Amino acid sequence: MENISKSVIQEISDDALIAEFKGGNEQAFDELYRRHLLSVYKRVRYVIPENDVEDVTQEIFIAVLKSLSTFRGDSQFGTWLRTLTNYKVAEFYRKRTRKREPLVVPLSEISGRMEGATPKMLEERIFLQSALQKLPENYREIILLRLAEDLQFNEIAEITNQNLEATKSLFRRAITALRNQLDE
Amino acid sequence: MSQLGKYPNSMQDDRLAEFTDQALAGRLNQTDADVDEELLALEETILRLKDAFPPAAALDQSTVKQMQVRFNARVRREAREVKQPFWKKWFKPQSHLQLGMAFAAAAFLITFAVFAPSMTTVGPSTSATALTPMKNTFVVIALAGVILIFLWIKRRK
Repeated sequence: MENISKSVIQEISDDALIAEFKGGNEQAFDELYRRHLLSVYKRVRYVIPENDVEDVTQEIFIAVLKSLSTFRGDSQFGTWLRTLTNYKVAEFYRKRTRKREPLVVPLSEISGRMEGATPKMLEERIFLQSALQKLPENYREIILLRLAEDLQFNEIAEITNQNLEATKSLFRRAITALRNQLDE
Repeated sequence: MSQLGKYPNSMQDDRLAEFTDQALAGRLNQTDADVDEELLALEETILRLKDAFPPAAALDQSTVKQMQVRFNARVRREAREVKQPFWKKWFKPQSHLQLGMAFAAAAFLITFAVFAPSMTTVGPSTSATALTPMKNTFVVIALAGVILIFLWIKRRK
């Protein structure tokens, strides 16, 4: 188990990787990280101020590392990871509220990894993030699934155990709510 | 759910979903002119989201690698911190200067508390009576403690 080759690791399922990790193969976690980093990062980028995106992403994967041994596989790993991500994002905002830091970071404080983003784009991001944070959870979730994670509507329907029509309807209502939030 | 639009809700659901698919696939960059105002506003919102968070700008391979390196470094650092006994963390040289100062102050107060009763005020002057051997030893130990803490704090600077 320990000497499983890199190419094999890249081909096996998440569940098999988790079993490998539980068996002491640390390479398995590296592969899980590589496989899911992009989706976690994209989701976090939509809801967390730019300066904290990498930090929060790291915290999510540290939480995965710490609790993966207790993952029983009742749900898909992706679903479990999504729940953990939402929890960590909520924790980020809870900490900010406790420290009485502003929930929306001023544009002047944003620096660093902003390649290709104009100040206008960053301002728009902050505005949209703030509006997204004010949406009910199910609305925010479907927007993140479709736009941040780029899942197709049929995939979202499968994940959320809804039919396709209900999924599209929820999406439209979510976008309407976001639009209203932006207009306020 | 609004009934104000030109289309029934289910049709609006489909049109918005289709518009989103097209926009995210990069096949559409502007709103559809042939829709009612309500749907147009929703399409604009989709485009605003897409433009503010361009999918292609998320992460490239080299950034992914750099992030993994930084992540692994953080994991190792946190693992080292967890393995350290709590008392070692308290006495970590780079931090807890205030804790060191508090210890020094506490040691000083203890010394004073032991030493003070042996001081008597006679008229305008203060004189000290001889200490018992037991008290004497305690005072010496406390003073040595204060000096050691002072030296330790000074050495860290």
